[in-house]
Amino acid sequence: MTHVPKRLLEFTDRTAIAGVGYTPFSKDSGVSTLTLACRAVLAALEDAGLTPDEVDGLATHRVGDSAPPTLVGPALGLSDLSWHLDQFGGGSVSHAVVGQAALAVAAGLAEVVVCYRAINARSEFRMGGTGRGLPASPEVQYQAPYGYVAPPQQFAMYARAHMLRYGTTAEHFGALAVTQRANAAKNPRALMRTPITLDDYLASRWIAEPFRLLDCCLETDGACAVVVTTAERARSLRRHPVLVSAAAWGGGTSHLSCDDPTVTAAAALAPRLYAQAGVGPADIDVAELYDCFTYSVIVQLEDYGFCPKGEGGPYVASGATALDGALPVNTHGGFLSEGYVHGVNHIAEAVSQLRGEAGDRQVPGAEVALSTAQPGYVLPATSALILRRA
Amino acid sequence: MPGYRPEPDRDSRAWWDRLARHEFAVQECDACGTLRFPPRAFCAACRQEGWHWRETVPEGTVESWIVSRQPFVPGHRDPYLVVMVRLTAVPGALVYGNWRAERQPEAGERVRGTFTQVDEELTVLDWAPESRIAIRSGENSPVR
Repeated sequence: MTHVPKRLLEFTDRTAIAGVGYTPFSKDSGVSTLTLACRAVLAALEDAGLTPDEVDGLATHRVGDSAPPTLVGPALGLSDLSWHLDQFGGGSVSHAVVGQAALAVAAGLAEVVVCYRAINARSEFRMGGTGRGLPASPEVQYQAPYGYVAPPQQFAMYARAHMLRYGTTAEHFGALAVTQRANAAKNPRALMRTPITLDDYLASRWIAEPFRLLDCCLETDGACAVVVTTAERARSLRRHPVLVSAAAWGGGTSHLSCDDPTVTAAAALAPRLYAQAGVGPADIDVAELYDCFTYSVIVQLEDYGFCPKGEGGPYVASGATALDGALPVNTHGGFLSEGYVHGVNHIAEAVSQLRGEAGDRQVPGAEVALSTAQPGYVLPATSALILRRA
Repeated sequence: MPGYRPEPDRDSRAWWDRLARHEFAVQECDACGTLRFPPRAFCAACRQEGWHWRETVPEGTVESWIVSRQPFVPGHRDPYLVVMVRLTAVPGALVYGNWRAERQPEAGERVRGTFTQVDEELTVLDWAPESRIAIRSGENSPVR
């Protein structure tokens, strides 16, 4: 097994997620991201049974599109936070934010940290790239002149590389979209709850071949928050604690330099993550995997060790990722069907599953969950968490 | 050509200037000889700063491609093909361009860069099958 430094193992299960909070998801929230952030933070505290005055840390990730802790804190009357984090980045860093909050709590810098993501990704800042300005990265100049600018194009490029190398098919991508929609049908919070068939998937319009509309996640207005505190404190609170067993960070795939675009940074991160938690892929009861596009789930199923390299497509098509399969994946419907809150709603769903509170979509007896950030394409970084029912 | 104008930075300005003269150059490390792209101050292999340009033939193999059908670039509604090419000269380097042939690419096929002059200041690099070595800029339309 991968070597894990002793100090890192001391971090295992020291902290917990004690509450989750949501705003409704929509195509137009009608309010600012500051308002969305405040609502989600307060909802998560209410869920945990904590008051705002007990908060001493706030953390978020954003790409210049949302309210930072330095706005949200004062707006909620929290003017002297002992720790905060304003992390640049999109889906690659969502789980890193919660991991860093857990480290801050474990180190004693703060005791109650609320991690949130507030986003008007449909009505204000179209995350899919349609009609907004280009990201400020030096790599963009080598792509933008060719009209290669948006995440659906970039992930479609990697998806085709996988299709060419391993024989992954549109039907494999479609099977994932159909499965996640079936999960969303059981989730009252989900934006897209009408079941779809493989034919519906195949008939959906092209966005960037090989991707169709139903390969792409929603662009959503909404916010989601989770409360991180010590495991000890969490045991005294309202909800059954969910322990942070492992948090890991990793590198990624540069647009301009990459030996094999069909292998993500998750392949290198996974052994560290599992070793930290003392579990392996076979121990994972439920997985909430970053699904900005269908392909990103398929490649992660391989790179997190649930199936051999190149077999992610057939694995999904076999039904293994359905609610009654060997590894239920994206039980809330994911970004494809629940809504897109840049990773935090995946963490919150894992918490609901481990508490046994996921209603009609509950995975019976779920004890250990994997939740992941974007596996390292586009912004060359990734992160992931393993959570465990206390 | 459906894209945005590039915004060169202090590392890349001279590369774009060379491209405008229809030269394709990559950097060669003075210390260890490693070739690299895109332009950067440091050699990632030996972490030294000294380098010089090495003019090379833009050739590579097709790694992947997309046909973009959503108007991601304002004002451009027609579909266009973007190809991801693995550069032969620089290990690990991937470059992009529009596809200048009437058929779609094939996985792993050998391709050659072709200079597309957008205007007096700007030239970009597109890609075509290697078998069409004598291709002239603008001879073929991108695949629709």
